[in-house]
Amino acid sequence: MKAAVSSGQAPGTASTMTAVVAKDLGLAWAIRQGTPVVALEGVSCAFAPGEVTAIIGPSGCGKSTLLQIVRGFLEPSTGSIAYLGPDGSAGAAPSMATVWQSFNLFPWLTVEENVGFGLELAGVAKPDRQLRVREALAAVDLAGFESKLPRQLSGGMRQRVGLARALVMNPDVLLLDEPFGALDAQTRLVLQEQLARLVESTRKTAILVTHSIEEAILLADKVLVMTARPGRIAAEIAVDIPRPRGHATTGRAEYVALFEQIYGLLRDEVERAMRSEGN
Amino acid sequence: MADGTLERAARAENAASSAPMRLAGTGPKDARWMGWVAVAVVLGLWELGCWLGNINSLYLPRPSQIVASMVKLFVAENLVLDLGWTLWRIFAGCAIGVVAGILMGVWMATSPRVAAIADVFIAALYPLPKVTLIPLLVIWLGTGGPFMLTISALGAFFPVVINTLLGVRQCDPGLVLAARDLGANQRQIVRRVLIPSAVPSIFAGVRLGLGVSIILVVAAEMVVGRTGLGARLFLAGQVLNTEDVFAVLVVLATLGIVVTKLQDMVDERLARWRPN
Ligand SMILES: Nc1ncnc2c1ncn2[C@@H]1O[C@H](COP(=O)(O)OP(=O)(O)O)[C@@H](O)[C@H]1O
Ligand SMILES: [Mg+2]
Repeated sequence: MKAAVSSGQAPGTASTMTAVVAKDLGLAWAIRQGTPVVALEGVSCAFAPGEVTAIIGPSGCGKSTLLQIVRGFLEPSTGSIAYLGPDGSAGAAPSMATVWQSFNLFPWLTVEENVGFGLELAGVAKPDRQLRVREALAAVDLAGFESKLPRQLSGGMRQRVGLARALVMNPDVLLLDEPFGALDAQTRLVLQEQLARLVESTRKTAILVTHSIEEAILLADKVLVMTARPGRIAAEIAVDIPRPRGHATTGRAEYVALFEQIYGLLRDEVERAMRSEGN
Repeated sequence: MADGTLERAARAENAASSAPMRLAGTGPKDARWMGWVAVAVVLGLWELGCWLGNINSLYLPRPSQIVASMVKLFVAENLVLDLGWTLWRIFAGCAIGVVAGILMGVWMATSPRVAAIADVFIAALYPLPKVTLIPLLVIWLGTGGPFMLTISALGAFFPVVINTLLGVRQCDPGLVLAARDLGANQRQIVRRVLIPSAVPSIFAGVRLGLGVSIILVVAAEMVVGRTGLGARLFLAGQVLNTEDVFAVLVVLATLGIVVTKLQDMVDERLARWRPN
């Protein structure tokens, strides 16, 4: 993947400097019978501008729920989301765009129409839209696939379309909900490296939900490890490995130490999640 | 059907299994001529049997007599006008029913309250054979154009409502979320996601609905019409003009084939929606 998707807002403007701060978030799903499922409890964390935060935790611990609250699609039962400007005052809500585990491409639209969907809704005129779409597709190495339908593409290509569709909006914050979870291991490795390069070159604020410790360390500046349900933040771990990172990074001593640390935290939680599923 | 229409429909239903199926027999293209040969053989036997058996044409006219009668009907007796009336009633009525059905179906799918109310009426009216509504509609609307269009629209309405409703309800919620994420408002979600995702289902409803419209229009013309293919058919039967009865039936059968072909062509344009 090549460097920045440049059109639209330039980086460094006021809203891109806004931090997203979650304060004491809690969410309980009301279910038809029995007590509500508490998905999140007392989650406080901050997503700093220009920083990539990975969220890792056992299945069903509320990672997607947290992302939906940050996106503004879910109202938390307790707590709130605040936006803080560089001087600590309240800022405007940053724009966001999501990359989904199941891609969620519109099957009846071509690659170009899928990527241009958000711009079209925003009223961007066709020539400008076409230009930006082509640029975004080039950034994910999909130039020449404009008129293909999603079903004609491989899983890895589909998710690159999903990535382009989010990037073309030039969001202040990029949300990635297990973006490579549905892909095979090799495709996943390649896309992780490509995403790492993209994130490094754009310096975009990103929140990455993942199951993969390797993915978290490769991509993130900070890793939030969550507990089994009800989801809390068990630990916040800074990743100080220099960039650019790639597959070679996995051989470094700092990488191994971090991996062991996160795995140690995660193993207990995954076992706890499995036990509570069993009863 | 001689020209592979059934095969095409089956292929559209299940694209994945068509390849191994085709290995089992000859391809549909190679077999196509056999259907036409079969038709020719049947017509030949029919002509020969009537002639040899000296069968009264009052009961079973020969194919050659039917063709002659059809030429006479079109050239001297303006059957083309009746064909035009019938086509107008079918397609205009069906179009009204389709548009109303899509709007109603989308409205029901997006509003639980509307769905709850409409559901009772649809449950009561859908299984009712629509021909039974002809007497009531005649009392209300007379036997003219409004009656014909209404009965035709009613036939198309119900299958389209039900298929639209199902299609919209089956829409992947992930697509709705993705659209919302890209800035779509509620109206844009309906128009840009829910309706497009229901297109194959809606078209299946239109297919069914058009079939019902054809039946209802011809039946209504037979009962009350003075114009249209159904009326000509009924009048010919009343005066025991068997050749004309057969000739009109052939016109109706041809209409059916043409409609099916047109639907197949639309089906092919729906390739975008077909999974893998
Ligand atoms: N719409 C919903 N209704 C009820 N429960 C839900 C709903 N969505 C998620 N949950 C529950 O909330 C918990 C957290 O879900 P989720 O955030 O999707 O987990 P994760 O993304 O970490 O795997 C799970 O136990 C899940 O069953
Ligand atoms: Mg999830």
